[in-house]
Amino acid sequence: MSAPKLRTRDLCKSFEKDGASIEVLRGLNIDIARGEFVSIVGASGCGKTTFLRLINGLIRASSGSAWIDGREVTAPGGDIAFVFQQDGLLPWRTVLDNAIIGPELQGKNMGEARDLASSYLALVGLRGFEKHYPHELSGGMRQRVNMARALTAGADVLLMDEPFAALDAQTREIMQTELTRIWSETGKTVLFVTHQIDEAVFLSDRVLVFTVRPGRLKEEVAVNLPRPRELALKRRPEFGAYVDRIWKLIEEEVRDSIRRETEEALAAARR
Amino acid sequence: MSFGVAAILWEAVAWWLDNKLFLVRLGAIGERFVELIQSGELIADMRVSFIEFAGGFGLAIVVGIGAGVIMAASRRVRDLFDPWVSMLYATPTIALGPLFMLAFGIGYTSKIALVFLTCVFPILINTLAGLKTTDRTLLEVVRSYGATPRQIYFKVRIPSALPFIIAGLRVSVARALVGVVVAELFGARAGLGFLIFRSAQSFDTAGLFVAVFILAICGVACVEFLKWIEIRLAPWRFNNMDEE
Repeated sequence: MSAPKLRTRDLCKSFEKDGASIEVLRGLNIDIARGEFVSIVGASGCGKTTFLRLINGLIRASSGSAWIDGREVTAPGGDIAFVFQQDGLLPWRTVLDNAIIGPELQGKNMGEARDLASSYLALVGLRGFEKHYPHELSGGMRQRVNMARALTAGADVLLMDEPFAALDAQTREIMQTELTRIWSETGKTVLFVTHQIDEAVFLSDRVLVFTVRPGRLKEEVAVNLPRPRELALKRRPEFGAYVDRIWKLIEEEVRDSIRRETEEALAAARR
Repeated sequence: MSFGVAAILWEAVAWWLDNKLFLVRLGAIGERFVELIQSGELIADMRVSFIEFAGGFGLAIVVGIGAGVIMAASRRVRDLFDPWVSMLYATPTIALGPLFMLAFGIGYTSKIALVFLTCVFPILINTLAGLKTTDRTLLEVVRSYGATPRQIYFKVRIPSALPFIIAGLRVSVARALVGVVVAELFGARAGLGFLIFRSAQSFDTAGLFVAVFILAICGVACVEFLKWIEIRLAPWRFNNMDEE
């Protein structure tokens, strides 16, 4: 296998809170190949989002490192783009001006950036909306702009933090198929965080299941379903089998964490 | 529509009272307006008041926004000046008028200083609040695309503070007009406030109302203009209201 696009070694993160140190992530070793689509699922509080923020360089690891193409990540920008759960579009900018923010901040040629942004806006299905303002768009359309913005930034790696969580169920399904199409047309490497197991299975080549705090890799599930994938795939038994398997892994985790939280609360009450 | 009803009511009450000291007919105010224009008095008064207003308000915009930006950028400056700003904002600084007359004379300087002082704080406070309440998501997004602190300031913080700043200007406009009138009441040689003073001294109620109406029209025009700018600058903030 060739060198991985994205690699993390012994990535750990602890936060200080009220004088106590809370370990959020412990010793994550993950390799993601170029052009691979990998999802992370796990119960709430498993540090999925923290993991993305570490890889992006938005926060610094307590120990360990992340590399893109063999180069260590030290600051945001450049090779990685982050797609947030909230679209985070600047409300005073048009769709096009939002999409070009990456090249603009990097001081790149704005003419080229505009052409690039226009073509990516067309790719995400927003041709003709360049001059609209975010408040004139629906939630799904805003997330499309969010994606076009990440693509225009020219990054090879897209980190996506529950980008469809705020959308209604039908829009979400459409956006999932759109994302697989965009991914296959652009050949980007995607690391996708979600709560929804079926979303993870539908989109991914591989699903990483995280344990609850501290977050560790519990198991990885390779999804051997043919591509291109249609929404009808979700009703097939082999799809259901993957979802079941991952849900069982997480279910244990969720029960464990609820039990632990209950015990801790009881212990605190006795004191 | 409601202005029309008010005008009819006004006329009715004026006719019923038949007291030229308290309430005069609108027609009489109109006549006085024409007289004052023809004698050149009104134009001169308006010119003086306009200079006082523009000078004080303009200075307040520059200083208020400037100081707000500096205070938002530096915690130390903020800690040093915040108590003073809060205190002076709550103080009716207009009461310092007589002191200003003594210090700066009855010319433009004292008026401009007083107008400046009455309206600088709302501008400053709104600028500061606007810069401090930037949406965290937006900050994180531009940071994730590699924005420098300088870029974050100019591309996110300032644009997102603009509607706040305009709102501050809207509050200040009204205060500035009050400042002009009151400053002139304390002592002046010309101006709309002085016209009010003069008219009251000579029982010229119509002349007094001419000045009051001109001030009211100017105030409404300024506020409406700023509201229009605010909607143009930040249409997303008014969207929800339209839907109701």
